Amino acid sequence: MPSNVLQFSPTDASAFSRKVAEISGQDIQSCYQCRRCTAGCPAVNDDGNFSPDMLIRLVNLGDKDTALNNKMVWKCVTCYTCGTRCPNNIHTSRIADTLKKMVKESGVEPLKPNIAYFHSSFLESGVRWGRVNESEFMGAYEMKNILHLAKQQKYKDIYGEIVQLSQFAWRVLKQGRMHFGFLTSKGSKEIKKLKKQHKTSSKM
Amino acid sequence: MDIAYYPGCSLKQSSALYDLQTKKVFSKMDINLKEIADWNCCGATSAGKTDDFLSIAMPARNIGIAETEGFSEIVIPCSACYSKTVVAKEKLNNDPELKQEINSGLASKIKGNLKVSTILEVLLAGVESGALSGKIQKKYQGLKPVCYYGCMLTRFPYKVNSPDDVENPKSMEKILKKIGLHPVDWNYKTCCCGASAAMNDPETSFALMAKIMKDAVARGANCFVVTCPMCQLNLDAYQEEFCTQNNISERLPVFFITELLGLAMGMSVKNLQIDRHFVESTSIINLQDKVVKERK
Repeated sequence: MPSNVLQFSPTDASAFSRKVAEISGQDIQSCYQCRRCTAGCPAVNDDGNFSPDMLIRLVNLGDKDTALNNKMVWKCVTCYTCGTRCPNNIHTSRIADTLKKMVKESGVEPLKPNIAYFHSSFLESGVRWGRVNESEFMGAYEMKNILHLAKQQKYKDIYGEIVQLSQFAWRVLKQGRMHFGFLTSKGSKEIKKLKKQHKTSSKM
Repeated sequence: MDIAYYPGCSLKQSSALYDLQTKKVFSKMDINLKEIADWNCCGATSAGKTDDFLSIAMPARNIGIAETEGFSEIVIPCSACYSKTVVAKEKLNNDPELKQEINSGLASKIKGNLKVSTILEVLLAGVESGALSGKIQKKYQGLKPVCYYGCMLTRFPYKVNSPDDVENPKSMEKILKKIGLHPVDWNYKTCCCGASAAMNDPETSFALMAKIMKDAVARGANCFVVTCPMCQLNLDAYQEEFCTQNNISERLPVFFITELLGLAMGMSVKNLQIDRHFVESTSIINLQDKVVKERK
């Protein structure tokens, strides 16, 4: 029978937490669980099943699967409150961001796929055109989102998503806040080239 | 005074009114904003969550352009753009190798001396040096605003000197007092509105905005004042929804600081495009105008 008890291996735990610390630039091991981060975290709700200090503990214990599938990774609103209040200057938002990237690299489905689609669509639009075009990137995001829901046959959710989006789009249009021109910058070429160079030089 | 200006994508689209107001108000204060040429997207928080290299390289290019154009200071009204740019500058100054790598691909190289300023820093310096003297035509004493700073003006994911007090910033209050307003003290100045979560995780974002709204109402405020286009859009466009969901009957206009400054200097609601708000925001101004007229 598989056990839910964590098998703690000091060597594995230390390898994982060091990797997260290195990528995020956060001295995770200096956390002494004072929970000041959690006291100020706006994303923590009454469920009590996720919080910044828990995420740090999971990483330090080397519980990779639970950490990568932790709600905190996706519920973090990157307000940076945890990091500015932490006595050891640990930014949990940077850890959450690092774990998001690890989820992406590992190829497993993110716990909140739509949030991952949102940020990748935004960045892709910014890099592709040099500037983010709000309507275009929202369209790309919703396409990914709806396709994913369709694969899971969640047709009710698709309907809800379309209703909500069209209501919002209508309000934006009515108040004259919708933009119809298309923004571009030549920066797109420079940035794409830099990214390509960086990829080859950092043997990723 | 000439100062470089980075509007960012949102000020050219859904918050185009903020771009327009910023230019009008600054020109009235004799500060010449020069939009830098061919700027690109800063990557915002999405880059930080997806690609560490791009989150530095994207704002770096804009810094390089401003420096090559000969500016020593750049003002960035959008809080996310400001935060990403100031963090990129600090990281590049602390990492010569990365700076060299990025510079190798940029047409306009970065030196790293550019002062990156928030709109509040520039406005406050202007106000304190007398840029408003003789220009205030109306004092809206009946407006009771709460100043909402949000996250990215004072908190950073990297060691950066905060332009204001991290937990209790006051520059917006200082500016508003100079135009005869009496901002209300409250607890949610720097709390998060959820930013992009309003679109991809409304459950979280709406709960946060409801808390912000409840405190503003409890303190007797009759409007919000903000500088961040994301905060403005969220609190304004979703107010009907998050208030209905949380049994809040009040509705409060969400003003950009440039709107209150522009009005005080005699610009009209139409001129400043305040009629493009989602929450009805013009009747409170008309009422104030009446009071001002009667006082005269």
